[in-house]
Amino acid sequence: MIEVEGLVKFYGDFKVLHGLTFNVAVGRVCGFLGPNGSGKSTTMDILAGLLGPSDGTARVCGFDVVKQAHDVKANVGYLPDNPPLHREMIVEDFVDYVAKLRGLGGSARSSAVERVLDECDVMDVRKRVIGNLSKGYRQRVALCSALVHQPKVLILDEPTEGLDPNQIVHIRNLIKKLALDRTVILSSHILSEVQATCQDVIIINQGQIAARTTLSDNGENTRSFVFRFLEKVGDARNWLNNQSFVGGAEVMRTDDHAVVVNFSESYWTAGRDKGIADVNEKLIKEGYRICEIREHRTGLESLFFDVIKSQSAGQIASH
Amino acid sequence: MVATVAIAQRDFKGFFGTPVGWIAACIIFLIAGLLFFIVTGNLLARGQSVDPIAEILGSLVGFLNYINIFIVPIFTMRVMSDELNQGTYRLQATAPISTWEIVLGKFFGIICYFGVIGLLMLLYPLYVFMFSEPDLKVLFAGWLGMILNIAAIAAIGLFVGSLTKNTVISYLGPVFLIIALLFSAFISGAPEWYTKSVNLLELGTEFTRGIIKTSSLAIYAALIGMFLFLSRLVLESKRWRV
Repeated sequence: MIEVEGLVKFYGDFKVLHGLTFNVAVGRVCGFLGPNGSGKSTTMDILAGLLGPSDGTARVCGFDVVKQAHDVKANVGYLPDNPPLHREMIVEDFVDYVAKLRGLGGSARSSAVERVLDECDVMDVRKRVIGNLSKGYRQRVALCSALVHQPKVLILDEPTEGLDPNQIVHIRNLIKKLALDRTVILSSHILSEVQATCQDVIIINQGQIAARTTLSDNGENTRSFVFRFLEKVGDARNWLNNQSFVGGAEVMRTDDHAVVVNFSESYWTAGRDKGIADVNEKLIKEGYRICEIREHRTGLESLFFDVIKSQSAGQIASH
Repeated sequence: MVATVAIAQRDFKGFFGTPVGWIAACIIFLIAGLLFFIVTGNLLARGQSVDPIAEILGSLVGFLNYINIFIVPIFTMRVMSDELNQGTYRLQATAPISTWEIVLGKFFGIICYFGVIGLLMLLYPLYVFMFSEPDLKVLFAGWLGMILNIAAIAAIGLFVGSLTKNTVISYLGPVFLIIALLFSAFISGAPEWYTKSVNLLELGTEFTRGIIKTSSLAIYAALIGMFLFLSRLVLESKRWRV
């Protein structure tokens, strides 16, 4: 659906993108994660046909963003970080105006407007002036404008930026709903944001892809747990490593006596809760006192910080 | 074409959705009303006129052509650099439409606004119908001259607006550019075609006498076409500017 190869972008002498290459398959929700100024928005602007790349190619739905920009724009819905809204307009008039820009006419336009107002939960404010709405509602109205033409690809640049926790949950649920029948690219510098909504993650730093990973489905099948002991963390680790049902146990942090335990797949088939209860019982019998057991989220957070740190260190070294 | 109409419609309604459109209309009508009062007062004092319409319209439009240099850029600033600044231009730039459609939409939005103002302003000279039988052709020519003048200022304003997100520069830029062009017509040794082309005030007043010259129409068409084309070029280049 989205194929990017060797994408380079210069702003004057400043190189913003250093040859990005990635693909996003049909129907996936891909998160663009990176610190501010890493090149996320520039990449999105290029994919939306708003900016031209200095070098490299990008194809969206099989169309080249430079040579077939018109077709790309027809298939993409874009919500920039600063939502483009005419604040003096009434919500439904605004969405209708965007539908006209998108070439929709007659009954198709009015039904598209109705559909998208309903889809984005803004029916209750359809007659209100955009400037008088809360930020969460304004964001949803902006989403309406990105969705009115039923794009195959939806590009969202920091869609929950500046919203309160309640509004964030609302927008997240909306994105999940929208992602059911289209490809979504979402950028954020907030880890939990990406973790909550995306299937694939591309970590971008200083204009380069620093890492990419696929998130497990909400940790339902994770076989990795953190056990925090009151004392004797080393002994506990050795005991765990000698058990047949443990694939591996590592001390995570000595200061808080935490051990990450990976259970073998066969052990897990009996049921996750039972497995944890059994091992807990055995540890207590052996005299290891446990303070906490928690799921070990396969560390997007640690991956993100490792990547950013290693890149920064590399940069300092090269200077 | 649909997109051009949509943009023009939105901008036209948008002018009345904010104080800008109403304040500008008030200023124009206040000035036009005062002028009408003064000119008709003078006419009545003198007792007669060869062509009262030409005299009233000449004074009205002649003065409004000056005023419009300062009023029209407010509108071009709003639809161009203000939209670039606020990010709403992205709505148009990410839609599957050509840059021409965007520029023309913005241009016609402004022309529609001043067209309505111009139509309402016809009430002043039409008032003279109560006392005499004026020449309608003069009336039409004067109105056309005013609209063409506004169109030329709008095209220049859109071009300057497309160059910057700064609303102050976007407003003052076309004002200074037009004044500079007017003064450049007085440079000794400037070719005749040039002095005739850049003096917008002179071009506008010709129409108020009921004279519609093909050459004047061509100059207006060239000025409007050139600056709209330049606006389009600047907007298009934004995609590639580094």
